[in-house]
Amino acid sequence: MEHWVRWAAPSAIMISIAVPSHATQYLTLEQAQQLAFPDASRFVEAHVMFQPSDVAAIERRSGEKVRTRGQQVWRALAGDRPVGFFIVDYVIGKHLVIDYVVALEPDGRVRRVEILEYRESYGGEITNHSWLEQFVGKGSRDPLMVDRDIRNISGATLSSHHVTEGIRRVLAFYETCLR
Amino acid sequence: MRPAFVSARRARAQLGTFVEITAGGATPPAVHAAIDAAFDGVADVHRLMSFHDPGSDLSRLNRDAPTRPVTVHPWTHAVLRAALELHDASGGIFDVTVAPVLQGLGRLPGQAEARVPHPHLDAGPGIEVLAARRVRFRHPGVAVDLGGIAKGFAVDRALDILRERGMTRGLVNAGGDLAAFGRPGECISIRDPRQRGASLGCVRVEDTALASSGGGEAVVVDPRRGEPAGGVLGATVTARSCLLADALTKVVMVAGEGAGPLLARYGAAALFLSVHGAVHVTRGWSAVVCRAS
Repeated sequence: MEHWVRWAAPSAIMISIAVPSHATQYLTLEQAQQLAFPDASRFVEAHVMFQPSDVAAIERRSGEKVRTRGQQVWRALAGDRPVGFFIVDYVIGKHLVIDYVVALEPDGRVRRVEILEYRESYGGEITNHSWLEQFVGKGSRDPLMVDRDIRNISGATLSSHHVTEGIRRVLAFYETCLR
Repeated sequence: MRPAFVSARRARAQLGTFVEITAGGATPPAVHAAIDAAFDGVADVHRLMSFHDPGSDLSRLNRDAPTRPVTVHPWTHAVLRAALELHDASGGIFDVTVAPVLQGLGRLPGQAEARVPHPHLDAGPGIEVLAARRVRFRHPGVAVDLGGIAKGFAVDRALDILRERGMTRGLVNAGGDLAAFGRPGECISIRDPRQRGASLGCVRVEDTALASSGGGEAVVVDPRRGEPAGGVLGATVTARSCLLADALTKVVMVAGEGAGPLLARYGAAALFLSVHGAVHVTRGWSAVVCRAS
């Protein structure tokens, strides 16, 4: 048909062009904290290491498997007044590891959910460092989140239901350990 | 001192996928406020047009429109009007009333009243868009799913919001359905539906929209046969709006080369990969394609 042309490059060659494995960072931890709690004057670390009973309670409440030994939590304070919790979590999708944050009101209602970063995973394994290590040393001197070297992908069918499941687990964590 | 103008890129889990929004050309608080507002616009579209949410405009339609006209939000009205126009222009290939078929395939929840054959194959469009934002179904078995068009519409609305907020550049990407304005644009990689991590090439997206179909779990139904389309593995379309690009990918998935006149009519360009492994592109497409590095 006159509207169409066969692409000159044979597809056998095209499929051999690999897209570089990629990771995209959207926000640093501190940027996400500021966006979630613009009124907060400080964020106090309140990381939790799970007891076996915590894991059992979170899994019972959420119906989701707990994969980590603890949870990274900050208390957001405006002066001395608590304005909420800032919780960092990750979920493993079919091909991606997604780091995200859940900001909670002081009473545990979800205030905001935002993706921090995603990166490729292979066979469900995390290829980067362990999640507890990945934020070590990150701060305001980190590069900007807009990485002009990173390409968007069209045709990616990324399911976000893992994030929904993760939020359910994070809320069960709140009920179990923070409330 | 002149305040520093920045760009920011953020992502949220929305529309059953990840929505990524990039904006630039203002101070950091203004950029982030614009991105927040754009995410809210996407959430509004989702609330109105979700098949799964019983409170959505769409669910109200599917419940009540077979028996009486239902008044819908202007956005839902606009999407349904566009869907009807595309249904007509594509000779019935683009059809938002394939929900019963998708239900029969287990792709949408709920029991289809009539599985196959499609209830109104010979009866023209199954929906009527009336004046004063009212919509009525022509048959009791009609059910609408806007999965083939609402995502593109959400991208367009989010981009509008960024423009209204004074951004000088913006890009909204909802799981591969995307649109951008301003300089610099971006080079978007087109995924090879046959092989994870491989690319068919990339397209420069600048003041245009791009959508892809195929290669994932989503199914495109050929409404003429009431079953999934089979001849095309994956299709990518560039068009002036993401709604148009989103809808036209479905037509290319079903019609392949037969979609040529329709694409030309809308000033759109396309690339598709046939089941035989051949890559077809519309004339003019190559100008915007660069090879993957």
